[in-house]
Amino acid sequence: MTPVIAIMRKELADAGRGRWLPVFAGAFAVVALVLCLVQATSGDLGSQGFNRTTAGLINLCLLLVPLLALVLGAGTIAGERDRGTLATLLAQPISAAELVLGKFAGLNLAVWSAIALGFGGAGIVMALLTPLTDARHYLVFVALAGVLATATLSAGMLVSVLSDGRMKALAIAIVLWFAMVLFYDLAAIGLALAFSPSGRGLLVTVLGNPVETVRILAVFSLEPDLEVLGPVGAYLVEELGLRTAIALLAGALVTWISAPLLLAMWLLGRQDA
Amino acid sequence: MPALLEVSAVTKRYGATRALDDVTFELQSGRVLAVLGANGAGKTTLIRCVTGTTHFEGTLSIDGVDVRAHGRDARRLLGYLPQHAAFHADLTVRETAEFYADLRRASHVEALERVAAVGLADHLDKRVNALSGGMRQRLALAVALLTDPPLLVLDEPAAGLDIAARIELRHLVREQRARGKTILMSTHWLEDVPYVADDVLVLEGGRCEFLGTARAFAALSARTSNLYLRVKGERTKAVRAARTVVMDGAVSSQGDWLVVACGPVEKGPVIEALVSAQVPILDLRVEEVAGGVGRPVEGGGVR
Repeated sequence: MTPVIAIMRKELADAGRGRWLPVFAGAFAVVALVLCLVQATSGDLGSQGFNRTTAGLINLCLLLVPLLALVLGAGTIAGERDRGTLATLLAQPISAAELVLGKFAGLNLAVWSAIALGFGGAGIVMALLTPLTDARHYLVFVALAGVLATATLSAGMLVSVLSDGRMKALAIAIVLWFAMVLFYDLAAIGLALAFSPSGRGLLVTVLGNPVETVRILAVFSLEPDLEVLGPVGAYLVEELGLRTAIALLAGALVTWISAPLLLAMWLLGRQDA
Repeated sequence: MPALLEVSAVTKRYGATRALDDVTFELQSGRVLAVLGANGAGKTTLIRCVTGTTHFEGTLSIDGVDVRAHGRDARRLLGYLPQHAAFHADLTVRETAEFYADLRRASHVEALERVAAVGLADHLDKRVNALSGGMRQRLALAVALLTDPPLLVLDEPAAGLDIAARIELRHLVREQRARGKTILMSTHWLEDVPYVADDVLVLEGGRCEFLGTARAFAALSARTSNLYLRVKGERTKAVRAARTVVMDGAVSSQGDWLVVACGPVEKGPVIEALVSAQVPILDLRVEEVAGGVGRPVEGGGVR
């Protein structure tokens, strides 16, 4: 067994032992089912029921998933440092990059499991209540939630490597979550009102935040209609076409996943344990 | 014997402070080197350099493998016992041993054998945070011995242990030495040195203050008193008489006083020698000193 796999397995086991995995899986399932139930009782749950539930879930997912992933990522290396186990781990025949990679892989598997169990389980229940015509949209949503988790986990791990203690890392992660999820939107709107940026300028603001990138991708998957897409989505489709726009957004997410992770691996290798 | 560990001009800076300053030594295969020094002398920093967990200037190699350039390969050749054995508290002894076996690419069977060898076979399913300090040190030793590395690096292994555990630790170190292991251990317990070490390195303010055999160190550190003797004339005769008991460098003059650096059992013979040489002693005083180490001593069996 390679050290990366050993560390990954331990992270996954820790997630189960720490109980946050079943708690978040349960929370995701409850949120999805409550939303579905609300729409069913309001008489909205027709042939578009799955789709409407998905649309409703996207905004909740954009709030919850980054919070979970950022906090988990931020706690991992800084937590080892606090416990004094980082020096013990790095005194083994492993590199700093392998440690970061193993932890990233393990936490990813755990978060994806929570998302799959929570939203996936709820999806199965919903499928029993509604026609399955919109199941593809729901599956795309679940996958996008996972990708968003991966990107924000990567950012969280960078925070963890840069912090000298777990509490500091968690505090920075919460501020980062606030900035990504709440403040960024307001700032973008403010800038748009103040400077009337071009479509290209709006595109940069979308690519500059993985939460926004996932939001646009989710809207593309649900309703690639110019009226629903908003100014950025409309600009993307008109300028680049739907396929190229999706490729561009996917490329931005790949960068959001890999750049902080690679930086975290490099930085930990340059730090004293 | 070839040198297993070669440390050359190793310097570690924290800003303007030098935690290690141009430290150079070689540790021959199969020998035990005790690194001594007060808190902050640079012992743990040196060990971190050896394990490659801190950056440093200079060169350091284990069995020819450069720690800076090939840290992971160099760490395959060492087992590390930290000062405070820090493990993941929520893992059991078995899970901990197996996890570190995976990291070191050892089998789980070997991991459990190592745990049994340090006397923890009955505690396999106990959580690490439920172990006593001594038991945790033993688990750390089991982990350090995984894959049977030629070099053992022990950072203050006696810290926090009671007398019984310390004696047990001495046995463990001697046992590993008998098995041919090369051991680098830091300690601030001088009493442990004669029992476990072949060679001694003393650090003070990050600098090497003594490097030599444990025997040379014992001779030096045993000189714990300055005997002041005021003699009536006969200075040359008095010096010659004193030198029949202590080394030449141990005798000096301060005004009317002859100063003889003595070990605990040397004071009486020095006076006896002067009386035998018919040197009249007018007065005498004894000053206890912290220990003879602190003066650079060249040579010895390590370099």
